[in-house]
Amino acid sequence: MFDLSSTTAKVVFGLALLFIGFFLFFPLYWLVISSLKGNAELYQIIPTPAPVMPTLEHFANAITRGKLPMYLTNSLITSGASALLVTVLALYAGYSFAKYRYFGRQPVMLFMLSAQMFPFGLLLISIYPMMSSLNLLDTQLGLILSYIVFALPVSTYMLYSYFAQVPDELIDAARADGASDLRIFHTIVIPISIPPIVTVFLYSFMWSWNDLLYSMTLIVSDSKRTIGPGLLLTYLNEVNSDWGGAMAASLMASAPIVIAFMFLQRFFIQGVTAGAVK
Amino acid sequence: MAAIDTKLSHYPVSPRASRRGLKAGQSRIGLLMLLPAAIAFAAIILYPFLQALGLSLYQYTVEMMSPQWTGLSNFGRLLGDRAVWGSFATTAIYVTLTTLGTLVLGLGWALLMNQPFRGRGVLRSLSLLPWVLPSTVSAFIWGWIFNSRYGVLNALLLQMGLIEYPQAWLSTPQGAMLAVVMTKIWLSIPLFMAFFLAGLQNLDREQIDAARVDGAGNWAILRDHILPHLRPVLIIVVVLGVIGNLQQFDTIYALTGGGPVRATAVLSVEVYRRAFEQWDIGIASAIGVLWVATLLPPAFLYLRMLIKGNN
Repeated sequence: MFDLSSTTAKVVFGLALLFIGFFLFFPLYWLVISSLKGNAELYQIIPTPAPVMPTLEHFANAITRGKLPMYLTNSLITSGASALLVTVLALYAGYSFAKYRYFGRQPVMLFMLSAQMFPFGLLLISIYPMMSSLNLLDTQLGLILSYIVFALPVSTYMLYSYFAQVPDELIDAARADGASDLRIFHTIVIPISIPPIVTVFLYSFMWSWNDLLYSMTLIVSDSKRTIGPGLLLTYLNEVNSDWGGAMAASLMASAPIVIAFMFLQRFFIQGVTAGAVK
Repeated sequence: MAAIDTKLSHYPVSPRASRRGLKAGQSRIGLLMLLPAAIAFAAIILYPFLQALGLSLYQYTVEMMSPQWTGLSNFGRLLGDRAVWGSFATTAIYVTLTTLGTLVLGLGWALLMNQPFRGRGVLRSLSLLPWVLPSTVSAFIWGWIFNSRYGVLNALLLQMGLIEYPQAWLSTPQGAMLAVVMTKIWLSIPLFMAFFLAGLQNLDREQIDAARVDGAGNWAILRDHILPHLRPVLIIVVVLGVIGNLQQFDTIYALTGGGPVRATAVLSVEVYRRAFEQWDIGIASAIGVLWVATLLPPAFLYLRMLIKGNN
């Protein structure tokens, strides 16, 4: 793209790489490094650039003394169930939008997408009393249902734009053989759509896993708390701040989503930018 | 750009395939497939949205058994509420700084990551990480960096001689704003980069090579070829960025709680405080209505682009 044969170009390129790269990666480096420092080393005015005496004590404490495993389990249950629900709903809706023609199809789809401008915080004002009247306040089911808000519209659109590319000939041929519409969808279309389906699942899972607002508001009992508010309440309360513990717990809370993302990032990025770049 | 087409290469894709759709007789099955998502959407997104808008016309506080109709009086109260106007100003500052900052750095990083060099693939993958971290984690990282006593930012500035004493960043209005803005820019750069890289993929290389033969330098190529080519992506990224930044809550709340006092109380935080700390639902909804009004222009632009893209 750019010609980097001249010295000036090399210098500008190198400096820009260094500057933005530092901004992007230093916080991550600092997260890892701080989690490995003992408290004596952690709380110094001028910190050491790398741990002199690396220790895993913060990780051990987070697992044995804290409630991190419980928060992680709760997050896994609520995010997993909600992502599954969103994926199934979006799967059928996306296919319906892509492959069927009926009155109001385009307006309904655009309306669903425009829900992105409904602020999650505003919706919560009504979701809270709704969950309360259904006796779903402070329950995992209530949180799972509320999490649909985050990803259903975009997930539907992501799957719609994928299904729109599936050739109609494929479906028509199966229909000529006498297969029913549902059967065609289940046995022919879904098997060739695994990457986008996994992408949508991960996208939805990520939203719920990263959530703070809804969990903090709709869940009261500590035993049902998810990692977002769980981490916040454990490590940064008014009385004391345990930064080493916070960093170690942060790494463990991020691990599942980071690992999943690393394997699927290509599909993920294609899915999220689909439709936006033509 | 081609969307997700990994497994589809086995099948012949006719150009008209996606446009034609299936026969009208099957529309009932199509509607049935849409039904579950439509019900979920109506119950958990649309109904709460309309109800929240409606509640702005009621007085409804924690002491009351049921909402009481008061017409537009909540909005009248807001007119004289300086905190709400302050919140609008704070939101404007926050959204402008985050969107502009992410735009510049995200575009810069995408251009760098588009240049072939050794280790680029690894760097590109790693640079997506800030985007997938839980918001509480991002807030922890930056809260620790900005820490008044042991923060590495103070240490760096002290050593470079830029400050004489450690600064209590999160206790000053400007410092707290700087921290929440930096955090949001940091976690949004990957998404912006992904959009720009996708846009750069279908740049016409021959045209650039031809311009180079004609003597165009790097700067001229960027200004005359790359930036004009990226214009549509740029608009989408800005619109999506504004929508996202207008709604950001988690990292701000976790870092500063909207403080010190109200210095970082953007609209999302203000609505949360009024609704779930003061339990003044009517006023919270009224602020929410104004909040939605600020979201309408970018949302309208976004929808218009989608409709254009579909046809």
